[in-house]
Amino acid sequence: MAKAPPITNRIRELREQHGSMSQSALAEAVGVTRQTIIAIELGKYSPSLESAFRIARVFGTDLESVFGWQAPPRG
Amino acid sequence: MSFREKSAWAMAIILIGGAIFYFDKVARLSQALGESAPPIVGLVIAYVVVIVIASIIIMSVLAISAGKEADAPADEREKIIADKAGNWAGYVIVVPALGGLWHYAVNMDGNMLFHLVFLSLMLGQIAEYVFQIVLYRRGV
Repeated sequence: MAKAPPITNRIRELREQHGSMSQSALAEAVGVTRQTIIAIELGKYSPSLESAFRIARVFGTDLESVFGWQAPPRG
Repeated sequence: MSFREKSAWAMAIILIGGAIFYFDKVARLSQALGESAPPIVGLVIAYVVVIVIASIIIMSVLAISAGKEADAPADEREKIIADKAGNWAGYVIVVPALGGLWHYAVNMDGNMLFHLVFLSLMLGQIAEYVFQIVLYRRGV
């Protein structure tokens, strides 16, 4: 089974809630490429703290409403 | 596909083509001589000129078709990809270079040393672009 990404996000959902904002529009607002937004949405890339704050600000919400993190089980 | 990923593909293809062109000539000459061919300065210059001209032409075409994306600085993910690829490529350079030094120490063949060091530089550049492509495809 594929390993779950450590950082989860609701970017796609938030984009749709914000008038179906395109990945390009979000990328431009955040200051990254569209491919980076795609990689973040798919959980392939965890953004820097600054970009995470920028994304949250674009959606007018706080960081934890956009990103989540599940601590790995202690073993 | 982003402008930088397209650039990495283009540069990898140009450099692989250049390496094949160069080592095909060296191999043929070595075969004809029955020993390692000496360094051919004209061929090295021709290789460098062809690579530079091909790069300028292809990168210009890509930049024109990419529009303002080509002018934008690399974002955080692209910088990480460039750093990782450059770091990994450094290891690729070491292998043929060490092979060349070993071969020279054993056989005192300076011609082969030249070719292997030149090969290591070419492979290092090719590897850097190939690693960039892999990382772009993977996300990071």
